[in-house]
Amino acid sequence: MKTLILGAGAIGGYVGGRLHQTGADVTFLVRPARREAIQRDGLVIKSTKGDVTQKVKTVLGAGEGGPYDIVMLTPKAYDLDSAIEAVAPAIGAGTTVVPLLNGMRHIDVLSAKFGAARIVGGLARVGVAMGPDGTIHHTSPFAAISFGERDGKAPRPALVALDAAVKKSGVDGGLHANIVQDLWDKWIMLCSLAATCCLMRGTSGDILEAGEGRAIVLETVEECHKVAAVAGYDPGDKGMETVRSFLTRSKSMFAASMLHDLENGAMVEADHIVGDMIARAKKAGIATPNLRLAYAHLQVYLYRRSRGGIGKPAR
Amino acid sequence: MKILILGAGAVGGYWGVRLAQAGIDTTFLLREKRAAKVKADGLVVKSPKGDAVVPVKVVTKGGEGGPYDVVILACKAYDLDSAMDSIAPAMAADTVVVPILNGHAHFAALDARFGKPRVAGGLARITGMLGPNGEILHGGSSAVSFGERDGKPARASLIALDAACKKAGIDGGLHPDIDQDLWDKWIMLGSIASMCSALRGTVGDIMETEDGPALMAEILEECRQVAASAGHAPSEKVLATLKVALTTKGSKAVASILGDMEKGGAVEGLQIVGDMLGRARTAGIAAPNLRFAYAHLQAYEARRVRTGLASK
Repeated sequence: MKTLILGAGAIGGYVGGRLHQTGADVTFLVRPARREAIQRDGLVIKSTKGDVTQKVKTVLGAGEGGPYDIVMLTPKAYDLDSAIEAVAPAIGAGTTVVPLLNGMRHIDVLSAKFGAARIVGGLARVGVAMGPDGTIHHTSPFAAISFGERDGKAPRPALVALDAAVKKSGVDGGLHANIVQDLWDKWIMLCSLAATCCLMRGTSGDILEAGEGRAIVLETVEECHKVAAVAGYDPGDKGMETVRSFLTRSKSMFAASMLHDLENGAMVEADHIVGDMIARAKKAGIATPNLRLAYAHLQVYLYRRSRGGIGKPAR
Repeated sequence: MKILILGAGAVGGYWGVRLAQAGIDTTFLLREKRAAKVKADGLVVKSPKGDAVVPVKVVTKGGEGGPYDVVILACKAYDLDSAMDSIAPAMAADTVVVPILNGHAHFAALDARFGKPRVAGGLARITGMLGPNGEILHGGSSAVSFGERDGKPARASLIALDAACKKAGIDGGLHPDIDQDLWDKWIMLGSIASMCSALRGTVGDIMETEDGPALMAEILEECRQVAASAGHAPSEKVLATLKVALTTKGSKAVASILGDMEKGGAVEGLQIVGDMLGRARTAGIAAPNLRFAYAHLQAYEARRVRTGLASK
């Protein structure tokens, strides 16, 4: 089985690196500068699960080195269009696309482009970042990916093979029997966390110090919960209790990575994570006053960023 | 008539300099360090209405240089307690304090400390900030408004202050309904401070978002209802002016609180917005946007405390 991974960034680089390390046939589709660095230095992973520097296969165009059974995508949502363009030449009749993105909207976009049958569901739970020198720093105690057929049917052979490769690689997770539920579960958590941390510009613990902070967090979770339920993916009492208790831990230093991005003037997945949740709520007639204000906050940020106004006095 | 002004910040400093230039007997009550600098260099003003370096009378204790007819108190809400301590020795039986603070919460504290008859109402519409060397960088508008609360006829010292302001080229002056003027300003400030802080942008930035115009209209309505419940609904004309100020596309208008937040500074909005929300609750007015804004400011303050900014 041959796997093409778009980019050798944080998540793709880590997962692909572990797959390659344990004998899977993995190729990275990268830009010239990244290829040069990898050819010179190798793909360098510094990880809580062990460091490794290794030679890996790279290509500059998706038309090279194929055909591929699996194409794995891990872009930020706002880079999805260019990601699609980059991998398009690699998508053949027998290719399965495994997107590891948060939210849901990318699945519709990918299905429209490549056909729904080629697109499976997937997501990553890895605390990982790429340093300026290209080193992949994996800092979380966990590293898992999850993927599966979106219609809940028996997995195609390519996914069964990917599952075997993942298990061999030491990356946790693998095939998921209800990947769409898993996607919704993660989206509820992420959207609630990103919306509240960004709107309040603080950690989970900072928000709880505000008189109404806890109520605002729980309302936001409930807005997302309703959207998931109306889509047929209610996480259930136990699933929701996990989200609620995680987001209401006093003094928690947990914060959405989106807040970090906001405070560093970086691009944010506002439309994909929060905007799309609101759009689905509107269609279903669900009121989302908290998400609405959070989305306005993110849109103000993006506009201000576009006019070069971040890091300067507001006026 | 003798006037004492606490502090020489952008508002009190500008006002006092113009009074002093016009020959009005004006004294600044300053901290030691600021006093030494102002005594040595005078007060420096950079203003569209004319730059000036003005030697002024300075004291470092409220008990010096008096008695005073008027004490002008232009401080931030979170500094009110120490400000009251500073001016207390200057408050003779017939001295009137003209507080130039935003909101309404300070009146309860001032009335309790000095007695309601000695506390007038006042506000300033003077834009500006202090430069790095303590110079007053005046923005352009220079209006003040003051008067008797509860619409009583003005006492002699306020009439004299009005004449002094007119002589000094300060706009506004004695207002026949200062309570209403205070509410009008608070509606504006409550709205703009809430939204500019909670959304972290200028009015123009907010107008670029899908729901920005609606959110601005909503918060204005929340504040209007609070004012109305206090018997101080703004006139149609004032309301229309506020609506334009809050919803003009491309506007660079922004609450000064945002600048404070982006520097990690203390924020007055906590009191301004929190008190507005408190009054909304008491009056049974739904105020969802004030609620978010107040939570935002509280989370900001919690983070300042957590990261040690608050103690700097």
